[in-house]
Amino acid sequence: MKTLLLRLEPVIWLLFGAGILLGTLLLPGYLLAVTLGAPLGLLPDGAMSYERAYTLASHPIGRVLLLALIALPLWKGAHHVRALLADWLGHGPDPVIGSLLYAIAAAGSLAGIYAVLTL
Amino acid sequence: MAPETGEMRKRTFVVTRFDPDKDQVPKTQTYEVACRPDWKVLDALNHIKDEIDPTLSHRWSCRMAVCGSCGMNVNGEPKLTCKTQLADYGEVVEVEPLANFPIVRDLVIEMDGFMEKFKSVKPWVIVAKEKAAEEGPNRQSPEELSAFKQFSMCINCMLCYAACPVVAKEPHFLGPAAIALGHRYNMDSRDEGAAERNEVFRGEGTVFHCSYANECTEVCPKNVDPAAAINQAKLNAVVDWAASFVVKRNG
Repeated sequence: MKTLLLRLEPVIWLLFGAGILLGTLLLPGYLLAVTLGAPLGLLPDGAMSYERAYTLASHPIGRVLLLALIALPLWKGAHHVRALLADWLGHGPDPVIGSLLYAIAAAGSLAGIYAVLTL
Repeated sequence: MAPETGEMRKRTFVVTRFDPDKDQVPKTQTYEVACRPDWKVLDALNHIKDEIDPTLSHRWSCRMAVCGSCGMNVNGEPKLTCKTQLADYGEVVEVEPLANFPIVRDLVIEMDGFMEKFKSVKPWVIVAKEKAAEEGPNRQSPEELSAFKQFSMCINCMLCYAACPVVAKEPHFLGPAAIALGHRYNMDSRDEGAAERNEVFRGEGTVFHCSYANECTEVCPKNVDPAAAINQAKLNAVVDWAASFVVKRNG
């Protein structure tokens, strides 16, 4: 497992890096719009209507963006939590904990793929 | 020795002692020293060695933050003791050997593992074919130099290894200074060995073990910024890994 994880580190780091970029740039804007903008009525009328949101989300680019918003922050989180646990639990980068966290991220990503494909 | 100016101040030094022939674990010994105001921590240690206790062992050489020999943990923080003003400390100063290294004796640490890691990143200019002398020197523009100059300022003092939380727990991790050095050669316009080094960077001591604590950069006395080198090295190692599927490599 340790060797497999070592071989996959570049991919994981790439997903983590993309997650940071997205998590820092896009996710706050998205959450702000959905959790504050919409309920407080700060968005234009009908901006968050079902039809509009569905049209945006079901467009091929919309699906890709939605998947990125779902999956990449999961990888970022898994990688960060792995480093955090290594510090807290007082051991090195543990391959079992790492694999478990990345499996969660992978499962979330697969669920995300299923969700955007079956919209 | 520093000039005799200003008022002397008495300080208590709690120093790690370890004699491998007698001790199972390191212990501490306390020394009362009247310190001159402009003394560095190293001046006090040399005073203890010369005037109070000749059995104390510690490494030092240049006294001007160039040789990198006198790194120790001062009040728990990795410091170059020749550069660390006693005036910044209180009555009690704890001096320990650098953390994360085996102790040889007292304040002297074992550097073999560190040197092995250094060698493993191939810290020299690798070229596929040596140029003949008649072909003239290798030229490098100031811009090309600036890509790596900062990372070549490392004095191998090992403070970054003592500060790194990953080095503390993952003994195989290449560590900040070795990665910064390998990255320095990868960024050198004269070098052609990046693929070899990137393989080392993705190997057992992988750069990806780094957990972004940034402690290496915090303690670096020469502003090398090893954390920046590590993160640039990560990106390069990923790009190189992806490229290896497209471009066939020799060897």
